[in-house]
Amino acid sequence: MSQPVNNTSKMSRRDFVKTNAIAATATAAGITIPGIKETLAASQNVSADKIRWDKAPCRFCGTGCSVLVGTQNGKIVATQGDPDAPVNKGLNCIKGYFLSKIMYGKDRLTKPLLRKTNGKYDKEGEFTEVSWDEAFDLMAVKWKEAMKNDMAANVGKPADKLTSTVGMFGSGQWTIFEGYAASKLMKAGFRSNHIDPNARHCMASAVGAFMRGFGSDEPMGCYDDLEHADAFVLWGSNMAEMHPILWTRITDTRLTKPGCEVHVLSTFEHRCFDLGDNNMVFTPQTDMAILNYIANYIIQNKAYDQNFIDKHINFKKTPTDIGYGLRPEHELEKKKTGTGGKLSTISFEEYAKSVEEYTLDYAHEISGVPKANLLRLAKLYADPTKKITSLWTMGFNQHTRGVWVNGLMYNVHLLTGKISQPGNGPFSLTGQPSACGTAREVGTFSHRLPADYVVKKKEHRDLAEKIWELPEGTIPGKPGYHAVLQNRMLKDSKLNVYWVMCNNNVQAAANLNEETMPGYRNPDNFIVTSDPYPTVTAMASDLILPTAMWTEKEGAYGNAERRTQFWRQQVNAPGESRSDLWQLMEFSKRFKVEDVWPADLIAKSPQYKGKTLFNVLFENGFVNQFKQQTVTDDRGNEYANDEMEAFGFYPQKGLFEEYRRFQQEGPKKGHEQAPFDVYHKVRGLRWPVINGKETLWRYAEGYDPYVKKGEGIRFYGNKDGRANIITAPYEPAAESPDKEYDLWLSTGRVLEHWHSGTMTRRVPELYRAFPDAVVFMHPDDAKKRGLRRGMTAKIISRRGEVECMVETRGRNRPPVGLVFVPWFDAGRLINKVTLDATDPLSKETDYKKCAIKIEKVV
Amino acid sequence: MSECKVDEYNVCGVLVHAHNNQIDQLKKLLEQQDGVEVHAVTDNGRLVVTVEHDRRKTVGDRIMGFYELPGVLSAAMIYQYSDNDLDVEELETKNINSSELETSKERMSA
Repeated sequence: MSQPVNNTSKMSRRDFVKTNAIAATATAAGITIPGIKETLAASQNVSADKIRWDKAPCRFCGTGCSVLVGTQNGKIVATQGDPDAPVNKGLNCIKGYFLSKIMYGKDRLTKPLLRKTNGKYDKEGEFTEVSWDEAFDLMAVKWKEAMKNDMAANVGKPADKLTSTVGMFGSGQWTIFEGYAASKLMKAGFRSNHIDPNARHCMASAVGAFMRGFGSDEPMGCYDDLEHADAFVLWGSNMAEMHPILWTRITDTRLTKPGCEVHVLSTFEHRCFDLGDNNMVFTPQTDMAILNYIANYIIQNKAYDQNFIDKHINFKKTPTDIGYGLRPEHELEKKKTGTGGKLSTISFEEYAKSVEEYTLDYAHEISGVPKANLLRLAKLYADPTKKITSLWTMGFNQHTRGVWVNGLMYNVHLLTGKISQPGNGPFSLTGQPSACGTAREVGTFSHRLPADYVVKKKEHRDLAEKIWELPEGTIPGKPGYHAVLQNRMLKDSKLNVYWVMCNNNVQAAANLNEETMPGYRNPDNFIVTSDPYPTVTAMASDLILPTAMWTEKEGAYGNAERRTQFWRQQVNAPGESRSDLWQLMEFSKRFKVEDVWPADLIAKSPQYKGKTLFNVLFENGFVNQFKQQTVTDDRGNEYANDEMEAFGFYPQKGLFEEYRRFQQEGPKKGHEQAPFDVYHKVRGLRWPVINGKETLWRYAEGYDPYVKKGEGIRFYGNKDGRANIITAPYEPAAESPDKEYDLWLSTGRVLEHWHSGTMTRRVPELYRAFPDAVVFMHPDDAKKRGLRRGMTAKIISRRGEVECMVETRGRNRPPVGLVFVPWFDAGRLINKVTLDATDPLSKETDYKKCAIKIEKVV
Repeated sequence: MSECKVDEYNVCGVLVHAHNNQIDQLKKLLEQQDGVEVHAVTDNGRLVVTVEHDRRKTVGDRIMGFYELPGVLSAAMIYQYSDNDLDVEELETKNINSSELETSKERMSA
């Protein structure tokens, strides 16, 4: 071990920072290195620098690490893991390390760009710089035209029959304020529910299962479970690469807690298998059979918690054979015999009977997992002395039976009562920084309103119309087009004006060739994309709006453990780029209520006559009540707030406080957040926040203030306080390998890149580390096709093809019969190949399973 | 303390987790790398590591390389310093969005 220098008189700045590095790392490792503290104390004077540090949640995944952002001369120059953050305790992953570089890509957009020919808008024209006025003027013309047609089509229709040709595709990366403003502008202002977030692609199945099981969205547990649990089971989650900091916490628990074990299930081997004590590679889609086997094992061995079941559980069944969420004319949709998700009550005995066929033999046969491994897993769940945290991400959610399979996981935890207790619980992880805080909580889904309310229910719309001070019947009652349907409707000319914000859906949405691209380039449509960079989505649009990103604006995110975190604006956005919040609010000024609402609706609120949507939605007396102020931290530093400057009031505060009214004034309890100002002072709080106190384990007495003394557990999201065990059978994937298309294709991410790579591919170090997507495949599968590592392969499905280099070694090791291709690479768009089959309940695409063939490129 | 002969200086503390039975071998592999030092090893699999580097071999490249070493279960950064942070390396991004989109459009119109 090398000793830190102790000759402080000669200590250089470099020695000092190195000593700091050693000391901080040693602290994280839980040890003290002799002499370090003294060395540091003696050299404080060397540490003076001109960098201003302030906290912000990381821009990338759903973990929600807090980082310290270092700003110097108006530029972000460094990021550090935040030592005071409970989520990451000072740790930072490789993407977080390079956060300071994501805003400084060479091709950052700084001016609006419109397709033009000879100085006029032309859908086939070239991108030409225009002013914000010209951009918004043209947008307003297009939007008004669409809404004029909508109003004509809607004459005499009740709220739940209204239609619209106006759409928006938003994001789990929007700030909470932006998502709330977007939802309000669309649902109240433009009277369209065709707003959906990209979180539809990643979290919708989780939401569906939470609502069906518990009547309230989001996990009951929190990250503290990662230290409390005795065992971890990963179901379709490669946390080592996708949630590295949470994985570090699990690794630490596994290595330091006697008897702790890690079980990993996946359709291919990945880095988590290095830590796994019981590793299982299963045939795609058979996770459902394995989960039913575990439930059956628990019942057969009477390992269920009878007392818990009697007090807290209802048994239900769901309609089966419900199709694959494809277009109605698709062969698979014509064959289905069931529909929807309406639950019916069954008895415990009927439930037991429904899983009886899932024996060890059957589970082994269908999944391909050795019996010994399956048995070990089942015994773990059945062991009353083991506290188990089950974790999953896209393996469960991107699944044509995503809601079912999430539910089957809950069944196992509910049968054994292993839920809502420290270390015990099912934990649905998220992929985006505010999939929970924004997409889910503020109601940016096509069927939702803020705080778990839905557009379908009149009383929920009434609540929103009351808080928003809108005439009765303003909000349409029919759920809008979800993400996948939006692309289909663009292609079919049923959606005509469309605003994409804070996502890259042309690269993300499955079946690019047959659905997305024809929709975007449809001459009937006008497509606008707001983005900091010229993504493939921006390039496929008609108008591009340059956007301020991350700490170029004041913001708030909500992570996977219900933690709400705020940040201040650290720097100014380059050129003419403006935040999504400014864009949404400023655009609303171009509409008089007469342009968008029919006369009979305005007649109900005559005070709105002649007013703009900005007046009605944002200058409504509530949102604009918080006056312009100087934003400061507790060290006296001052920060800009460009939106406050532009609008003359504090819009982030006003929008957040208005949003909080949904948590307080409606019948649903348990979503309460703290007042706005609190979040600028703390490292986040986990809702519900009651009397300033956060909630670590929901539904549990002693932790959740909504559970009374003596109740123990109360799943109060459901009226009777009980959770639902919902039986569902194994059903096959939409598309499985056959003679011609003889391989499974699974897609996903890699450590170095986040989602479509818009940010991480512009960081030179991350780009170099993993420049292009490759196809990970088994050496035998490669050999059979005349391929070797490093050669180029053509990946072909019924929908499209793409070329990638073959990788037969390294971090991902698929079994024979399956290949894995990451989707970050805009130069190799794997979504030309993937199938747009969705879970008919959650409408989330299954990006993990389709049939392909691979040919050698000669 | 090792000398860093270039004009800029970068250092990063890294908390590495490894299986106990692979730690000795891993420690050797880590220490063989230029600019990598292991300052402490705990008896439950934690290694206190620093990485110093120059312009050519960035700390990021080094740490991403850690994952390829046998025994490494996780590697998380805990302290980073660079006195060259202002010199943001610029990547030629022209090719990030390649002609893939164009071929999609062509296919569509075909």
